[in-house]
Amino acid sequence: MSSSHERIQAKGCAPGDFEGEAVVSNQPFGFWQGIDPLTGIVIDKRHDLCGTSLKGKAFIFPYGRGSTGTPGIFLEAVRNKCAPAAIVNVTSEPMIVMCALLAEAFFKVQIPIVDGLKGNPLDLLRTGDRVRVNGTTGAIEVISRV
Amino acid sequence: MHLTDEERRILDGAFGEPQRIALSVLAKLGDAYGADRMVEIASAHIVGSSYQIAGEAGIEIYGQLVEQGARVRVRTTCDPGSIDFARWRTFKTPENYAERQIKIEELLRRMGVIPTWTCTPYTTFNVPRFGEDLGWSESSAVVFANSVIGARTNRLAAYVDVCAALVGRVPRFGLHLPECRRGEVLFELAPDLSDSFEDHFFPVLGYFVGQRTGDRIPVIAGIRHATFDQLKAFGAAAAASGSVALYHMVGVTPEARTVEQAFGGRPPAERIAIGRREIIVTIEQMSTDKGGAVDIVGLGCPHASIDQMQRYAALLQGRRVHTGTELWICANTVVEDMARKMGYVDTIEKAGAKLMVGTCHNDCPLGAWNFRRLVTDSGKFAYYTPTTVGTECVFTSTEACIEAALTGQVIRS
Repeated sequence: MSSSHERIQAKGCAPGDFEGEAVVSNQPFGFWQGIDPLTGIVIDKRHDLCGTSLKGKAFIFPYGRGSTGTPGIFLEAVRNKCAPAAIVNVTSEPMIVMCALLAEAFFKVQIPIVDGLKGNPLDLLRTGDRVRVNGTTGAIEVISRV
Repeated sequence: MHLTDEERRILDGAFGEPQRIALSVLAKLGDAYGADRMVEIASAHIVGSSYQIAGEAGIEIYGQLVEQGARVRVRTTCDPGSIDFARWRTFKTPENYAERQIKIEELLRRMGVIPTWTCTPYTTFNVPRFGEDLGWSESSAVVFANSVIGARTNRLAAYVDVCAALVGRVPRFGLHLPECRRGEVLFELAPDLSDSFEDHFFPVLGYFVGQRTGDRIPVIAGIRHATFDQLKAFGAAAAASGSVALYHMVGVTPEARTVEQAFGGRPPAERIAIGRREIIVTIEQMSTDKGGAVDIVGLGCPHASIDQMQRYAALLQGRRVHTGTELWICANTVVEDMARKMGYVDTIEKAGAKLMVGTCHNDCPLGAWNFRRLVTDSGKFAYYTPTTVGTECVFTSTEACIEAALTGQVIRS
């Protein structure tokens, strides 16, 4: 029953509902030069997630570093079915929200975006935790912890 | 958000599928950021014109839009592509890569996009006026339009800019609102730095300001005079190192005749002093190593103006680029045409340098060159090169860049 799960309330920014594994970082992230759109693997050598796949995961990090070319790489990953399936931020960067809106408009893929997470993401969640993210209500449910 | 009758009809599909999709994206963006309504834009400038950015997803999106009869509703120019359309073989671009860029060129043309292929559309056919609302992306162009001209645009993203072009509107929030354009952080130059501010300090100052201002609007006090090219270089660096979309330079940019005007009557949230030390430390940060043999010198980021072409030609007159070193000067086709007529291109090419038109080092695949060390006078280039080109990078003045190309060596001072 979902009501029994631990719940983190934040703000919904782009609609969608996802349940699955979380990948968590306390470092900001830029998709442009940050992800290989053919695999979904982080390629930014300066990032602590370098080598980790974001494909089909709830990607939880503080905020996006946005080049205006960001949706180019992001939608290429969506097209290859290698994009993250949900994104949770401390503060949302318009570039990330735009990526989700474009994915829905042009590839009919909903990627829920939630922002307003309070504090260091690593204090709240760990990579491998199972979460449910609702991009409309802004609710993050922790289904199970690693 | 409030929508007009016409906008509601667009969303109902009365003007076709491309406009319906475009407006639905923009309306959702407006809802996410608290826009009260749409605002009509004078022009659009789109960034997803290079194959490096758009990729196969872009070709699919543009292909779908063209098939559905998409046409831009306002003047729309485009950012550099991933090839020099006339000389891609000279730059060792793989043929299959060039073909995909040529496909994007065809799709954008069919939508009515003006093929400027430049990050400096304001030197071609897209010259905004003070106070005009725009739908632009390309961070260096956005910061120029907002700051130097006083036009109003948020930093749109790839494809959102196309949506804006297709309906001639953007949601009204952020930098479209006068109250969101007020300065927040004051950067004050020390008097001795003001007195002797050198040309190549502009991108350095931009890089520093971008790093320190975060997502806040910076105000710079203490610059006595700045040329078009210096403001272009400053803004491009600040937009790269810190996502700056608007800055005010007191006594230089139009919304900052005084410090008070720049801050809209409010006190600065933070004051940051800048002396020679900050400039020197930042110059060090902008290079990845101390120098040595130079494979490639990159000038024209953002794309060179006609004044810069004149300057390069004067520095290269009667001289010869070192064997084994490449000197590439990036510009748009309008500036190229004028520079050719003025004889600058002839001088530049006789010296063994190459003109790279409609693209740049950062947008092209350069794998075939095996470059190890790049020298540039651009703060934006210095920021992106280590990841996009994957070389060591040395930042220095324009004159020292040309000298590095002629001698094949650079030693960081």
